[in-house]
Amino acid sequence: MRKPIQPLMTYSTISHTTDSSSSRVLKNLFSFIGLCILLLSFSAQAQLKVTTTTGMIADLVQNIGGRYVEVTSLMGSGVDPHLYKATQGDLRRLSRADIILYNGLHLEGKMQDIFEKMARKKPVFAVSSLIPRTQLLQHGHFPDPHIWFDLSLWQQAGQRVLQILQQQDPKNKQAYADNAQLYLAEMQQLHQWIKTQVLSIPPAQRILITAHDAFGYFGRAYGMQVEGLQGISTASEFGLQDIKQLKDLIVKNNIKAVFVESSVSPRFIQSLVAGVKAEGHNLSIGGELYSDAMGQTGTPTGHYFGMVKHNVKTIVDALKSTKPQP
Amino acid sequence: MTNDIWIIATAALVAASCALVGVFLILRRQALIGDAISHSVLLGIVLAYLITDSRALPIMLGGAVIIGLLTAWLSDSLHRVGKLQSDASIGIIFTLFFAIGVILISLYAGQIDLDQECVLYGEIAFVPFDTIYIGNLAAESGFDIGPRAFWGIGIVFTIVLSSIIISFNRLKTIAFHPSLALSLGINVIFWHYFLMTLVSMTTVASFDAVGAILVVALLVIPASSAYLVARSLKAMLWMAVGYSQLAVLIGYALAFWLDSSISASIAVSAGLLLFVTIAWQQVQSQRRQRQPIDSL
Repeated sequence: MRKPIQPLMTYSTISHTTDSSSSRVLKNLFSFIGLCILLLSFSAQAQLKVTTTTGMIADLVQNIGGRYVEVTSLMGSGVDPHLYKATQGDLRRLSRADIILYNGLHLEGKMQDIFEKMARKKPVFAVSSLIPRTQLLQHGHFPDPHIWFDLSLWQQAGQRVLQILQQQDPKNKQAYADNAQLYLAEMQQLHQWIKTQVLSIPPAQRILITAHDAFGYFGRAYGMQVEGLQGISTASEFGLQDIKQLKDLIVKNNIKAVFVESSVSPRFIQSLVAGVKAEGHNLSIGGELYSDAMGQTGTPTGHYFGMVKHNVKTIVDALKSTKPQP
Repeated sequence: MTNDIWIIATAALVAASCALVGVFLILRRQALIGDAISHSVLLGIVLAYLITDSRALPIMLGGAVIIGLLTAWLSDSLHRVGKLQSDASIGIIFTLFFAIGVILISLYAGQIDLDQECVLYGEIAFVPFDTIYIGNLAAESGFDIGPRAFWGIGIVFTIVLSSIIISFNRLKTIAFHPSLALSLGINVIFWHYFLMTLVSMTTVASFDAVGAILVVALLVIPASSAYLVARSLKAMLWMAVGYSQLAVLIGYALAFWLDSSISASIAVSAGLLLFVTIAWQQVQSQRRQRQPIDSL
């Protein structure tokens, strides 16, 4: 990018004496910008446009598709998928896309019906569709949609993404396969790393208490008991009995920390901490976990691996530590 | 591009239907009946689910229309029979229905996602994707006739418009001179219920197409703007429709420009148009007050 700007600068200094220098510089600048836009649009044309619902899926597609795909996600950082509202731009992002990928398992609510109808005309796929039903956690009739917390399940979602990209863009088949192999191998390493990290917590204290039931798959995959203050839907309320049971569990197992989530209000967890402290037990808030959305783009938690590492570190540090967290 | 046209067309039909019905609601001081129905439909959804054990859209819509009708009818009856104020009777009926719905959910349907937001209210941005396909999809022998929401609200708009055209004189007499209408032998009670039926049908169909907040806004705001300016019922109906169409166009442009929610932008522009109208009227009346002094 820097090279084309250089001659422009020298040109402007040379022609400084002439009257129309500024206008010519401006003209030059405009034509340069025009060229840039033209080049960008050409390179964009060659790319496969993929629109995803959550940032986690966008990250997966970006890593497997590499430079052959242009990925946009509808739900930004910190957006609770249950409370997502569409904008006019989302309509454009959906209608422009060559491929649309969504999580499925009712994470997207009523939007899922729309996606199923769109699939008649467009390549629209759920990344969760390859995962066998027996590997899914069930809540009554409905499966738990938070599959990205078990990295072995998310690897299957990655396989699905690879399959879709290869199907839609066969000429870059090999590149996608290479990218996927590298990325999924890295994910497998991270999977093992999480296992060893969780093993370093004393067994009695491997209990993860969060604001809502998003970490079911995490608990099952890495051997932690998971308790949520709210149910699976962030809209449901909790009863007095639930709070009492949680308090008993915390005191009995001498749990040191509970966690707040980035996309759920911390109010309820804070009142739980205050309630337990009032009974003379030392409990602190272990930190903020990313549950339904990743962090800001550009920050370490703005991509999937960073978010997972942040969550695991926060959990392990808080539950292992001998002195309470600030 | 076709997507934008479908959205604007659907929004325009919703806006026109709501504006027409809204005029009569404003004149009868029942402007918030739309808001009331948006809450009380919860009971309709829950009952329909409990009876049929299904969350399919036609069933949900059926339950919502029936409870919408009951809300409108009962609040009207409570007003006339119980001699309560009409706003109070609307408040009584919809909170009662909503509360019964909440109790039924916690008793029988606590484990599933069942609320208006999730099973009934539509999102206008996704209207173009939810199309009706006639014929065999796999064999590609049929054709796509456009969004479901567009045709649904299109039918409702036709019914509303033709009812108003056919019964314009009677509705006018009832709206302004109920006692005269009675003495002329017009069945006032029938026409009350007829109007409430139109209201309920329009609101529920519009909820399905564009979501709740826009419907409530479109029922009240364009008709109020027209009320400020119009000198006759006919003019008020025309102007309400005009205001609503203008709000749709400005709102869509606003949503495009700001990359924001379409329904919220339309509601905001309807409100802005109302304030512009009020401001313009103020300027006009001040000018008129000054004029006699100038001419002296």
